[in-house]
Order: sequence, then structure tokens, then C-alpha cells
Amino acid sequence: MIRQNQVALRLPIFAVLVLLGSLALGFPSQTAGQAQKRAHAAVDSAAAAPPVKTLGNKSAPITMEVFSDYQCPACRSLFEGTLRPLINDYVASGKVYLIHRDFPLPIAAHTHSWEAARWANAAAKIGKFQDVDAALFDNQLLWSGSGDIEKYVSGALNATDFKRVQALMAGACMNDPGPVLNPANLPAGPSGHACSLDNYIEQDANLGKQIPVTQTPTISITYKGQKYPASGGNIAWPLLKDYFDSLLQQ
Amino acid sequence: MSTTDSSRGSSWRIFLLVGRLALAGIFLFAAYAKLKPQAAMPWSAASIRTSLSMFAMQVGSYEMLPPQAVKLVARTLPFFELGLGLWLLTGLWMRFSSLATTLLLSGFFAVMVRTFAKGIEVNCGCFGPGEQLGWKTLVRDGSMLALALGVTIGAFLMRRSPVDSAISTTASEPTPQGAS
Repeated sequence: MIRQNQVALRLPIFAVLVLLGSLALGFPSQTAGQAQKRAHAAVDSAAAAPPVKTLGNKSAPITMEVFSDYQCPACRSLFEGTLRPLINDYVASGKVYLIHRDFPLPIAAHTHSWEAARWANAAAKIGKFQDVDAALFDNQLLWSGSGDIEKYVSGALNATDFKRVQALMAGACMNDPGPVLNPANLPAGPSGHACSLDNYIEQDANLGKQIPVTQTPTISITYKGQKYPASGGNIAWPLLKDYFDSLLQQ
Repeated sequence: MSTTDSSRGSSWRIFLLVGRLALAGIFLFAAYAKLKPQAAMPWSAASIRTSLSMFAMQVGSYEMLPPQAVKLVARTLPFFELGLGLWLLTGLWMRFSSLATTLLLSGFFAVMVRTFAKGIEVNCGCFGPGEQLGWKTLVRDGSMLALALGVTIGAFLMRRSPVDSAISTTASEPTPQGAS
């Protein structure tokens, strides 16, 4: 009697388990589909958003624009020796608003500059510019030789973010070598490149032409709305800091 | 004294006067360009400090000195140029003022040639910010050095008194070194 009751009790439990199991088997495809849709939506929204290549508070008293080429050794020196302490100190404390501007130089040795700028812009579109910017400069000597920029971008991002950046780079941005850029010949506005990221690089280069930028790195400083003469070349942090301190004491 | 000697002496005096005043003007302008307040700033100790800090960045871009030495050079050089310009203007002890000018310009020129030869792109910093070092600046500074050298040689040849002979009356006799 007791044994029959136990069997009777187990049957509904078994039925419930079978039902749950069948539902569970159906879920993964649905969950994966939703995740895929979410990822696509994220990429779509990132594709529409402009890249954010700025650091710090926009209302900081000093705005510093850096026109840079990812394959230029002086730009790497500036980043490692000057921009890093600047970011950690004056940008973090709200004194300086830092803007990165792409200015890939039309130099035969800089064959990967443009592509590196694309990766940086793709990362900037998903809010990961700082990580990729640092990775590109940190590993400049490595990817400049091999051309394998993707490897170092992937190392700077988590898997999800890297997939999003990859998605933005997919297609024309990966396959098209990009314009062998001569900033002097750039058109005035976006010219509808096959790789949409190129438009952002071109916009930066056009801003550089207005200064005019003749070398990289070039820094342009604006203090309380007043633009000061641009400086080219690598500038040591103690000297830049001294200049900023003197501006802030005005 | 022959007429030829007299006219040669007058030419030397005119050259020395014009050369000295030109060098004085160049150095006074160079000092002014380095010290003048940047855009929208009034003349003040703070604005001059900012200008000197900007100049320090230009000196630093030559990549020859450590930052502390760069700061020292940037803070003293414009005042030295100002003093030298005034000294040249007065004409006092012209042999020494022109020699100091020649030595200073030689130093500038050597640094510029070295930087240019190494392919380092820098702002010259010669007359304030925004002027890139190139052939044009090398030719200009080379010409200034040649002028300073000419004035120095002339001053030594014409030396006569503590006060520049070129500003005295042109009627006086030139006394080249060999003849004195």
C-alpha cells in the first residue's frame, strides 16, 4: 500500500521534471537568439554613435588636443612619458580635458597607422578608447613590425567588448587597406569611405590641417576659451606641467 | 692719410653702426617675443611666467637638456638676450658685446644644425612660438651669425676707445689694429 502511494507520488514529480527538461532544452536557442539580438543592437547603436576620444571633464579650465599618429615614435614617447602622468594627475583632478585627434602621417614607414586609428575609433565607439589607445602605444614596436594590431586590441579588452569592436571593424574596415593618407589632399568633409570609421579619422585630420599640424605629435591648448600656439614634438611632463600650472595661476 | 683709406674707414664705421644696431634690434625683438604675454593676457609677472613656460617647452623639444636645465635656460635666456640687445644698443665695449653676440649666435646655430640634421621637427623658438625649424630659419640665423662675426671682426679692427668709435664723429681717423 505504502509502496503504491510512493509510486503514485513519484509519477507527477517525474512528469514535472520531464516538462521542465523539455522546456529547458528549448531555452538555449531562444536565449542565444536574444543575446545575439542584444549584441546586434549594441553594435548598431555603437555604429551610430560618434567615437568618444576624450578624457576628463569637458568643463576643465584647460583643453588639450593631441594630434597623434599611432605609429610615430615621438607620439609613443609623448604618451608614455607625458600623457600618462597628465591623465593620472591633471585629467583625473579636473584641470585638463584631453582630446585625442587622429593624424596618421603619409609616411611609407607608417603603413599601419591608418588601420590602428580605425581600431582606436572602433573602441572609442563603445567607450573603450582609453584602453585601446594605451595598448596601441604600449605595443607600438610589436604591431608596427607585424601589422597584427588586432592581437593587441584583443589583449586590451574583455571578450564581449572585443567582439563589439571586431563587429565595427568587420567588412570594409578590415579588408580595405584604407586611404594611404595624405592629409594635404584630404577633402573638406566626410567623403563616404567604404569603412565608416575613416570619416572620423578624416575629420580629425581636417581639424589638424586648420592649425596647421605639420608634425606629430602636435598639441593644441585652449585655456578659458583662448587658443594658444600649437607645439610640436615630444614635450617632457615637467615642462608641460609647469606650463599648465602657470596658466592655472592666471 | 689717403682718400681711399678715409672712405674705407667710413664704410667700416657705417657697417659697424648698422650691424650693431641691427643685432641690437634682433636681440631686443627676440627677448620681447619670448617674454610677451600670450593671447588675451595682460603684461604681468604671471603672464611672463606663462610665456617662459611656453618657451621652455620649445627649448625642451630640442631634446638636448634634462627638464631642470631646460627650465633654467628658458628662464634666463630671454633676459640675457634683452641685456645683450641693450648693451649692443649703447655701443659700450663693443668688441665684447659683439663677441658675446657671436658666441651666442654660434651656439644657437650649432644647436639648430644638429637638430635639423637629426631630423627632429621642432619649433625654432627663436622669435616666440609657432615657427618651425627648417631651411629658412637656418639661412636666417646663419646670416645673423655672419653679421655678428663681421661686426666683431670690425670692432676689433677699429678698436679705439671704450665707447664705440662708430657712434663718434665720422671725421676721426680709423685705426685698424695692425696700424695702432
